[in-house]
Amino acid sequence: MSPLDWWLLLAMLLFCIGAFGVLARRNTIVVIMSLELMLNAVNIALVAIAQFRAGSQGAGVLFSLFVITLAAAEVTVGLGIVIANYRAKRTVENDHFDEMKG
Amino acid sequence: MPGGDFHPFFFVVIAAWILVCGLGVVLFRNIIYSAVSMVFCFLGVAFAYALLNAELVAIVQILIYVGATSVVILFAIMLTEVQQSYGQLFHRQAIFAAPLAVAAAVVMTVMVVSTELADVGDTSLNLSVHALSSLLFNRYVFPFELVSLVLLAAMIGAIVLARRQGEKR
Repeated sequence: MSPLDWWLLLAMLLFCIGAFGVLARRNTIVVIMSLELMLNAVNIALVAIAQFRAGSQGAGVLFSLFVITLAAAEVTVGLGIVIANYRAKRTVENDHFDEMKG
Repeated sequence: MPGGDFHPFFFVVIAAWILVCGLGVVLFRNIIYSAVSMVFCFLGVAFAYALLNAELVAIVQILIYVGATSVVILFAIMLTEVQQSYGQLFHRQAIFAAPLAVAAAVVMTVMVVSTELADVGDTSLNLSVHALSSLLFNRYVFPFELVSLVLLAAMIGAIVLARRQGEKR
């Protein structure tokens, strides 16, 4: 295994932990935190590949900066929605948010 | 083991730190513990960037994730005042989610191990902060401006969403 593979394995395991949290937890705030874990995992993979490949010219590192910025925007809007939902229903458990269920 | 100018021991410590804190986020019943675990996970990821010689990303990670995002999430926890998850911790669909996550991990492990990535060396490229910033403000200036627009839209959206209904003026 090349050195890059170990970093990719770390990123992959963190991504799977985050994916499980997103799919399985009932608390919406924990779901958002798990989403952040997934974004961090993708960032680790991006930076690792950018640092280990000679021809990347810094594009991967800059792309990870954009991912961090957009993750900050995403968490702001997501928590705004959580707080608005909490005002309406006095709960953050996501199985109570079923108005759009068919 | 991962190459570079550090001992593989550091990689093992950092990887274990990140994964244990990540599991803590998902498994803690008390949401405050989850949030603190998440802060430590972000800190570990910042150290991982430092090991990868990406010092700019490490600094930005500490500033934005450990500094800003964690505070926003802790604020949301305080505003919603639900510290304990009563009743079931996991959704009904957890019985499908757990095998799915494990299966995805196995498939991706096989993919990572079996794939020979071309043009991969031990030496890191290590662009300096100066070179990266000149790239950011020359070649990538359009995405940079676009991201500032997205941040403005997200800020306005968050204010509109989280405002109480009676406070229109």
